Amino acid sequence: MSKTALVVDDSPTMRQMVAFTLTNAGFTVVEAEHGKDAVRKVSDGRKLDVVVTDLNMPEMDGITLIKELRKLAAFKFTPILMLTTESAIEKKQAGKEAGATGWIVKPFNPEVLLKTIAKVMPA
Amino acid sequence: MSNDFAQFQDAFFEEAAEHLAVVEEGLLQLEQHPDDLDLLNKIFRSAHSIKGASGMFGFNAVAQFTHKMETLLDLLRNGQAAVTSAIADLLLKSTDCLKTLIDAAKSGTPVDNETVQRLTLGLAAASDMNVKAESKVEKGASTSLSDPSPLTPHALRYFHITWTPPEWLFQRGLDPLQVIKELGDLGTLSQVAVDVSRLPDLAEIDPERCYLSWSMRLKTGKDRQVVEAVFDFVREDSALTIEEIRDKESGVRSDGAKASEDRAVTPHASRLTPDGSDSEPKPLGEILVESGVVSRAALDGALAQQKRVGEILIEQHAASPQQVEQALQKQRQQEAASQSKKADTASIRVDTAKIDKLINLVGELVITQSMLSDLGTRFEMSQIHVLLERMAQLERNTREIQERVMSIRMLPIGTAFSRFPRLVRDLSAKAGKKIQLVLSGEETELDKTVIESIADPLTHLVRNSADHGLETPEMRLDDNKPEVGTIRLNAFHEGGNICITVEDDGRGLDREKILAKAAKQGLIAENEKLTDDQIWSMIFKPGFSTADKITDISGRGVGMDVVKRNIENLGGTISIKTEKGRGTRFTLKLPLTLAIIEGMTVRVGRETYIVPLLSILESLQPRSESVKTVIGKGELINVRDTYLPIVRLYEVFSLQPEHTDPTKGILLILETEGERVVVMVDEILGQQQVVIKSMEQNFRKVEGIAGATILGDGTVGFILDVRGLLEIACREAPLVA
Repeated sequence: MSKTALVVDDSPTMRQMVAFTLTNAGFTVVEAEHGKDAVRKVSDGRKLDVVVTDLNMPEMDGITLIKELRKLAAFKFTPILMLTTESAIEKKQAGKEAGATGWIVKPFNPEVLLKTIAKVMPA
Repeated sequence: MSNDFAQFQDAFFEEAAEHLAVVEEGLLQLEQHPDDLDLLNKIFRSAHSIKGASGMFGFNAVAQFTHKMETLLDLLRNGQAAVTSAIADLLLKSTDCLKTLIDAAKSGTPVDNETVQRLTLGLAAASDMNVKAESKVEKGASTSLSDPSPLTPHALRYFHITWTPPEWLFQRGLDPLQVIKELGDLGTLSQVAVDVSRLPDLAEIDPERCYLSWSMRLKTGKDRQVVEAVFDFVREDSALTIEEIRDKESGVRSDGAKASEDRAVTPHASRLTPDGSDSEPKPLGEILVESGVVSRAALDGALAQQKRVGEILIEQHAASPQQVEQALQKQRQQEAASQSKKADTASIRVDTAKIDKLINLVGELVITQSMLSDLGTRFEMSQIHVLLERMAQLERNTREIQERVMSIRMLPIGTAFSRFPRLVRDLSAKAGKKIQLVLSGEETELDKTVIESIADPLTHLVRNSADHGLETPEMRLDDNKPEVGTIRLNAFHEGGNICITVEDDGRGLDREKILAKAAKQGLIAENEKLTDDQIWSMIFKPGFSTADKITDISGRGVGMDVVKRNIENLGGTISIKTEKGRGTRFTLKLPLTLAIIEGMTVRVGRETYIVPLLSILESLQPRSESVKTVIGKGELINVRDTYLPIVRLYEVFSLQPEHTDPTKGILLILETEGERVVVMVDEILGQQQVVIKSMEQNFRKVEGIAGATILGDGTVGFILDVRGLLEIACREAPLVA
């Protein structure tokens, strides 16, 4: 059975790139434009295997999203990766405190993305 | 960096353009509302998105420049710096510069490096940032690009690892087993032991906490950094020791083990990435080097000796050096041409919801089609009602698909309006006038091509209003008007058209001035009586300008005649309403799309033609006394005391008509650009929407024909070009128009 990933980014280009990479790696991908959209999309109780989220987003930013997801029983232990830039180190700390499993530093290539996901996801 | 993402470049450029518009618009608003934090956040996010995505494609110049802008924006939104007009100005200029940098990344257009440099320094000075910290960041970013696990084989090492993860490990979605597995992927794990001494009594155990510690030994060909990287996400919060054991069991090292461990690391990447670049066949030389047949040096030597086709042909006297040089030049031109063509490729971003709907509809269409073909294989006359029902369904499907497909090309006109706040800001500064711009109806949708083509005419109209329409603040105060002049841009739907108005509350058009100028230019007779509309339309004549002096803003280059011509090329019209001292309003009426027009089908002999419905004023069957022939000047018809030239379509297109007598056939009065022509046809068939197919692309330009279309019965029908017919009429009857 294929794994499902939630990709959250307000930039359609970034979202598409991540989604494309994951789809080609055999994932089923659910896309969301921002935190609120993501929360809405998981509110049907669907099971997700991994979440990849941007931090800077309108409506609801990534840190808040991570906190919100961790409150849900279905996401208590789900790996959540944040997309961040090297220059936003304090963001990384905030993300960790919010419950992020790990991070991917932008810019990245598909290989790094898949490796990082493999790192936090049970095979 | 991998090129896998290259296919998303076009999407990036489109998105970047949108973000740039957001930044620019936001900065302009920010000047009015310097404390608007939401606005600052919005601008910051857009800049941030450009930075993030440009880095992904290796557009480092763009990424670095945006980073500088972002740093300053971050300070502004954190309240560490204030939004002054100088800073807003700097950021606006930087936005312009960023635009050129993105264009450069897109199509290789040159960049003014001096400007980039100057603005970079300006941004750095404004955000007063620590240059040292900055360079460190950039270095970090670039190293993160390289593959963190180089595959160069190392000698085998032994590590002794102890790890006590933080208790909240599980709450961050981390799984210690996953970490240990990843270590196992690096080599061979042995002596893995779990320390359970910290486990509390069963009653006190919180199952969501981690009380365990591990120790283990790892045999690997990898560097220490690679081993440490496994713990990346937990290292800072764990008690972790990784010790290399040097002197033990060194005899075990073998090439076989090394090779197998290397394989153990790579499968993630090679299995998971569907990298197309790998499947490209390698050059022969590379394969020979890889398989060890020849050395790299030997290959390079051989390649250096290899001759180009041109050289060989010259040696064999098959071609002269000049000929080869010419051919090479041609090749370079073609390469350049194909590159610039690529840069021009237009793309459109479509909401996925629109596409999903479309796919649904296509699905329905397929079902209807299969129901129809099923019905066709065993059809009996008794089932005729079923057939009719299915046909109706097919028609519904087709119409809906047509609407949906057309809607894909529809964009809100706001994209064309968005450039005006900036334009007006600059214009008001330049002309020393106070101008406020009011936009409305930005969400009105119309065809992308139309939007692109009206941007220039609209710009001209706005410039015109700012320059000629609005008065200086002093003049306005003298006239008891508010000091600040207003330019309004509005868009709305009206019938099958879209109307765009450009309105100012300035001085209005000056009737006397226009009349004097027109008389001076010989456009009208000295005492000619003209209606207001006729007078206002004078400003659309080539070379007509009533401005006393030509200013920097308008009155140079394109004139109103070009605006009018552009609008009419789009199948639209432009009209003026003006009141002296109160203002002027230009109304543009445009078709929603260029691809489909509403047409009247008419018959001439056995041919069917389509007349654009918008251009038809009326149709009539004249009495014989109203048709006059002026020798050498063609035929005229008297319509309510105006003589109009008659064009007999069968003569223009050399057809065998049913009627040659105008009183037996039908006359259509057509209008374009305010001029009229009468066209004679045999019969009016009806009204329908037609899809325009270009003549130039499929055949060549034919005078009097604007395009072709496929009619309901499958035959080709030609769409009449009213402008062209008018020219034909004018040639035949030069004195009348």
